[in-house]
Amino acid sequence: MEILAKLAFAIYALIILGGALTAVSSKSLVRSLVGLIVTFFGVAGMYLLLNTPFLAFMQMLIYVGAVCVLVFFAVMLTRADGRGEEAAPVGGKRRFRALLAGLLPVAGLGAILVKHQGETKTLPVEVDLTALGSGLLDQYALNFELISLVLLVAMSGAVLLAWERKEKK
Amino acid sequence: MSFIAPELLRIVVGMVAVMAFVALNVLVLVYAERKGAGHIQRRPGPYEVGPHGILQPLADAGKLMGKQLLMPKSADPILYWMAPILAFFPVLLLFVPMPFGPVLTVQDVNLGLLLILAFAGLNVLATLLAGWSQNNKFGLLGAARAVSQSVAYEIPLLLSVLCIAFQYGSLNLSTIVEAQGSWPWQWNFLCQPLAFLIFLVSAFAETNRAPFDLPEAESELTAGFHTEYSGMGFGLFFMAEYANMVVVSGVCSALFLGGWRGPFFDGVWWFLIKVYAILALIIWVRWTYPRVRFDQLLNINWKWLLPLATANLFATVFLIKLF
Repeated sequence: MEILAKLAFAIYALIILGGALTAVSSKSLVRSLVGLIVTFFGVAGMYLLLNTPFLAFMQMLIYVGAVCVLVFFAVMLTRADGRGEEAAPVGGKRRFRALLAGLLPVAGLGAILVKHQGETKTLPVEVDLTALGSGLLDQYALNFELISLVLLVAMSGAVLLAWERKEKK
Repeated sequence: MSFIAPELLRIVVGMVAVMAFVALNVLVLVYAERKGAGHIQRRPGPYEVGPHGILQPLADAGKLMGKQLLMPKSADPILYWMAPILAFFPVLLLFVPMPFGPVLTVQDVNLGLLLILAFAGLNVLATLLAGWSQNNKFGLLGAARAVSQSVAYEIPLLLSVLCIAFQYGSLNLSTIVEAQGSWPWQWNFLCQPLAFLIFLVSAFAETNRAPFDLPEAESELTAGFHTEYSGMGFGLFFMAEYANMVVVSGVCSALFLGGWRGPFFDGVWWFLIKVYAILALIIWVRWTYPRVRFDQLLNINWKWLLPLATANLFATVFLIKLF
């Protein structure tokens, strides 16, 4: 079974990488979005591999089912036929910067993983849904609330951006 | 044989059985729908192929498979062909946690309800991709309607399902069915009538069935999101619609009507009777009510279903805490 798990990890990693590459390199915004959806699928597969089916299904329900559909709606209101601003050729300098931005988290996370190999070796145990719920509202209540604060800030930021655009006209 | 784990074998056999079940159901439902439409409109419906037109669905299937697959010149080829596949194949996955009978489940998933809700979202995505990729105004309008409709109606649907999940403290469909009794007065639609009603209305909207079939709306958008599809491209959307109807009826019967529990003999027959009763209701409603206008559709959802579903959820939680 360990070989199967490694194989599954490799396949999911390939799916995530392929989706991500499609997302950043496509000329059409909708194709980029489909790449993003493929990436979400791969991440959901990773969650399943980590024995957290609840997170995997929530990932599908929220990101694929709701967020991507709303992004799609926003894209449909623009000209997304592959002739817009995003279809212009990308210079070498920008490519280098993008690569750097991608490699930085890889290096950071990789260092942590190499340092703490012991924790990642054992097989994950499935956490009961009730334990997850009481953990979120009990032990980690502050973190939970802070995350909702971040979402609130992001939402008001989006409203503010839309507001400024309106005033210019 | 020793290399193949029994669970894996069960899933493979189950998936093959599900495919056969879905294909058979599509044939039966197409016939039932056309006959039902005919009789409701005081005409015989399909009558020529076989006795009482019973072989009509086979003739339809033959016609669809024989047709040439066409694609508009300015369409996005990858997304255009991806959409019908994405519409149909995830539906098969929705049957995995479906409790057909006491032991007759492909795989008993602890988070079965969540799995169905999560993968049902792909149907919306397929509709969107189909509508956008064909580069056709009608398709785009159908897709735009599909987004606002399905995103809106998903919320009351989830809230009404949550009521039942809270009541039993489980997202496992088999557990919820087992907890209900064998007699009709022990089923959930009596203690959660509002949730049952909200679930039914939202399910009509989520499966794009009349009176909420605005994404395809033949009389205004030709065929909406699948205007340009021919042959089996359209056939897959068609099959997905009927398969989704079966899934919705199955979930409804498991959550609210006691699933395979029934008077005298529990078993798969009760589940099937309930599923086909709900399907008959869906077909009946389609040919009885006219299509709602778009503003009416959104008003029903945001002004009625959403507040009612939220209130119902709060009431359920309050009563659970009380007793």
